Amino acid sequence: MALTRRQFLTTVGGGTLGAVIAAACGIPEDELFVQSPAEMPEDMVTGLDNWYATLSHGFPTSEGVVVRVMEGRAKKVEGNVDYPINRGRHSARSEAMLQDLYNPDRIKGPMARVGERGDGNWEEIGWSDAISRVVYQLEQVSAARQNREVVLATGPMVSHAGVVVDKFINAYRGTHIGYEPLENTNLRTVMKNLFGQDRLPDFDIENTNYLLSFGADFLNTWISPVRYMRGYGEFRQGDRERGTLVHIDSRFSMTSANADENVFVKPGREGLLALSMIQVIVSSGLGDPVAARDITGGGAVDLEQWAPENVAEATGVSAEKIKHIAEQFATHRPALAIGGGSAGAHTNGLFNLTAIYSLNYLVGAVNAPGGLIFNPAPATDDLADAEANLKVGSAADWREVIRAMTDGDVKVLMTDGSDPMYGLPGALGLREASYNVPFIFSFASQLDDTTAMSDLVLPAHTSLEEWGTDVPAAGPGHQVVGFQQPVVRPFFEGRGEELGTKSMSDTLMAIAGKLGIDLGLDATDIKGVVENAARALFNENRGSVRADDFRAFWAGVLQRGGWWDTDSVANAGTVTTKQLPANAPAPEFAGPAGSEGSFHLVPFSSTSMGEGQGAHLPWLQATPDPLTSATWQTWVEINHKVAKLRDIREGDVVRVVSAFGGDGITAIAYPHPGVPTDVVSIPLGQGHKAGGRYAEGRGGNALSILADRLDDETGALAWAATRVTIEKVGDWKRLPKFENNNPDFARDENQRIIKITPTDS
Amino acid sequence: MADEKWGMVIDVDRCTGCQACVVACQSENNIPINDEGLFNQQRANQWIRIERTWEGEYPDVKARFMPVLCQHCDDAPCEPVCPVYATYHNTEGMNVQIYNRCIGTRFCANNCPYQVRFFNFWEPEWPESLKNQLNPDVTVRSRGIMEKCSFCVQRIRRTGRNAKRDGTVVEDGDRALNPACSNACPTGALTFGNLKDENSAVAKLAEKEMHGENGRGYHLLEEMGTHPSVIYLKKVDPTAEKVTEEAHG
Repeated sequence: MALTRRQFLTTVGGGTLGAVIAAACGIPEDELFVQSPAEMPEDMVTGLDNWYATLSHGFPTSEGVVVRVMEGRAKKVEGNVDYPINRGRHSARSEAMLQDLYNPDRIKGPMARVGERGDGNWEEIGWSDAISRVVYQLEQVSAARQNREVVLATGPMVSHAGVVVDKFINAYRGTHIGYEPLENTNLRTVMKNLFGQDRLPDFDIENTNYLLSFGADFLNTWISPVRYMRGYGEFRQGDRERGTLVHIDSRFSMTSANADENVFVKPGREGLLALSMIQVIVSSGLGDPVAARDITGGGAVDLEQWAPENVAEATGVSAEKIKHIAEQFATHRPALAIGGGSAGAHTNGLFNLTAIYSLNYLVGAVNAPGGLIFNPAPATDDLADAEANLKVGSAADWREVIRAMTDGDVKVLMTDGSDPMYGLPGALGLREASYNVPFIFSFASQLDDTTAMSDLVLPAHTSLEEWGTDVPAAGPGHQVVGFQQPVVRPFFEGRGEELGTKSMSDTLMAIAGKLGIDLGLDATDIKGVVENAARALFNENRGSVRADDFRAFWAGVLQRGGWWDTDSVANAGTVTTKQLPANAPAPEFAGPAGSEGSFHLVPFSSTSMGEGQGAHLPWLQATPDPLTSATWQTWVEINHKVAKLRDIREGDVVRVVSAFGGDGITAIAYPHPGVPTDVVSIPLGQGHKAGGRYAEGRGGNALSILADRLDDETGALAWAATRVTIEKVGDWKRLPKFENNNPDFARDENQRIIKITPTDS
Repeated sequence: MADEKWGMVIDVDRCTGCQACVVACQSENNIPINDEGLFNQQRANQWIRIERTWEGEYPDVKARFMPVLCQHCDDAPCEPVCPVYATYHNTEGMNVQIYNRCIGTRFCANNCPYQVRFFNFWEPEWPESLKNQLNPDVTVRSRGIMEKCSFCVQRIRRTGRNAKRDGTVVEDGDRALNPACSNACPTGALTFGNLKDENSAVAKLAEKEMHGENGRGYHLLEEMGTHPSVIYLKKVDPTAEKVTEEAHG
């Protein structure tokens, strides 16, 4: 049939009309999906994704993660639901592992210094050349074989990378020193002294009824924040009655913000406050009677000197409040007292933590549900050895190492990217002393401040490219060995054998091989070491992964991201209650006195960047601080009324000066209503001298102006014991913050969004 | 009509303000890097943000946190003002943005009482190596385009497609279905799911807290009548009375 023009138009028009009617009926919804953000026609996804389990390291407790990989590229990090520490949850820092892997400023191949040390001029060399240079330097040392000629500074690690490091350094009778920016030496000492424990415990927050926390910013950055937050969610709105959190601190932290009751204490007086609470509990008979007797040595310790009325002035907390909290703590069990952070970072830090953790004796919180849960020794012998041999350096230990450097005793210094030159107080003088060390080399993926001061850089894989294991810094109360596997091929693999990055452990093993040192590892690379570790666990035939043959077991531990045995808990034995100290030492501070208009400086770890470890990652730089919403810069938090008196407004650039660190640092003022009047707070993380486009030359480093005051007993750095003055420099700089990015919501006073009491709606 | 109405319950009593959700969202959704300049221009882009509110002052001071994202309103003020139908309501209760229709009038952002729509004032830029991380399921938006939280629609679509292929159904709480923010949240403050499925965790929570005795549920800016798909649960604070009274004199 011939189609006339008119018939054609009628047919087409009718069809179009039909399509429009169909559309109106909602039929083409699928078609609209195609235009949704998920599936734009021009970039339709055809690939499939794989998720691999591995570990996110060092913040400071590892998290188990799964990584989405498409076509050989890592795309997304999420928590591993099986991993006992974080159970599917994860921090912003774990997410940013992707930007570590694909960071534009990664070191792409071995580099040797050209010109003066620290000038920043490098030439790329091949791996064979680089290893020959290291071997040559170490051969000079091994001829002499004196103690301490070789120093290796790494992050604290109980892992098979740690096993390799430990065996390597032992071959030289050298020093392996674990570097921890805001050290937990006092905390570990207290665990040993009070409870006989060699490692940090778990805190059973989810089963606690009353949580008393002193200085420990555990919801933000302290020890294992994701694990604690997981417990906190249940503590608040789990199946049990809602728990009560009382936070005692000398600054207003994120944990303070989440507390039911927030108590400000004078810096360094946390221990005195805890003793006073012990006095209330013991004198009112609310505590466990046996513990109450033992804690005073049967009356040998005079508790009355610490009665609330006697300490109210020194602590800055009213006697009524001390009594109230102590009574609530003792009568709302299970109760738990934790302490750390700034509370343990004074010249009397060990005393403070001793008094705080002693509270747990009185409420039966020692190795009990809702209290402290002890952690067992690592599951394998080699990990147990690595843990036993690991020396996490206190400031006193560092002082000794630095003295050896100054004296010219140290011939070779190695670091692993943990960056002590950035994080140790300038007053300790590591940077200056390093000029006396003939050879410094660094295994690092970024040109951090310490790596920038080295002679040779051996570029390291990032976490997502290498094999490894990890025993969490604070375990979950039972044995865990996390397994780390490469989820993608090394990013610079295409540069060939002589360039690109390598695992630090593999490099150390290769160097040992060239030197003819037998590390006794029964493997030629770290993958072999990890596989041997899995074989040891396979032979145990217990725990979360069991199989008939090793192949299946190996697949199992890699799929699940690790191995753990919930039955393998600490053998606590009998914990005897230790007697309290007879006296309460007062904290000492360095710097101008309060009468000269100075403030206590209480620095704190950045929520996202920690103590600077995340400064090269743009997501973490751009993550707003929870309280100020500030990003990308260093700010100083000051009480808003004090600021007004001193004519300091937000954005004013101020110079923060201590008696240390030269001219001090500059920071942008951020007055807010939560800061105590005699305290200023500065976040850590910025002020890098090197570190690539995102980190370098940004803000100031508060660590550089800290006094080198140490704890009287342990030699731990008293990083909250510095006093500073503040002066305006005359500049104004906008603080890059998210606050005011959007207009505030209008608040409706009739629409209450806070439930005042548990029964009020 | 679809069998789904996606919704979220946010328990403010669990939220600590840690920002894990914020970074998880940026990673999943190819949100441009918020550099220092963008913050200074007040043009930073965060599909989910944590609002912080001060109450009182030292020594009786409180800070409150509240995660805010697109509320996926049933009566969304952003939808009727779009001259090109770039923002519309789909049958699953989501407020959806079609990037290749958007012409950047910003009327929608102007009309959104929750301030959760973000405009690309600049062409997003990543250093070459960082582009390897970009999520292939999500379009990179260009300059002049409005964007906002999509409840990670790409995950909903992917799990739906996979279930169809495998002859299964998408289960409540499937981590491949949940938005990135919800999976990340360390305290479990964000519960996502199908409000039409009465057995889903989100529906049970919504029913209990919105209609149960002593429920803590409410909607953000409820008086606007936008009927959001996001339900907030009140913060519980036995000591709040004192601080708020003092704060208001």
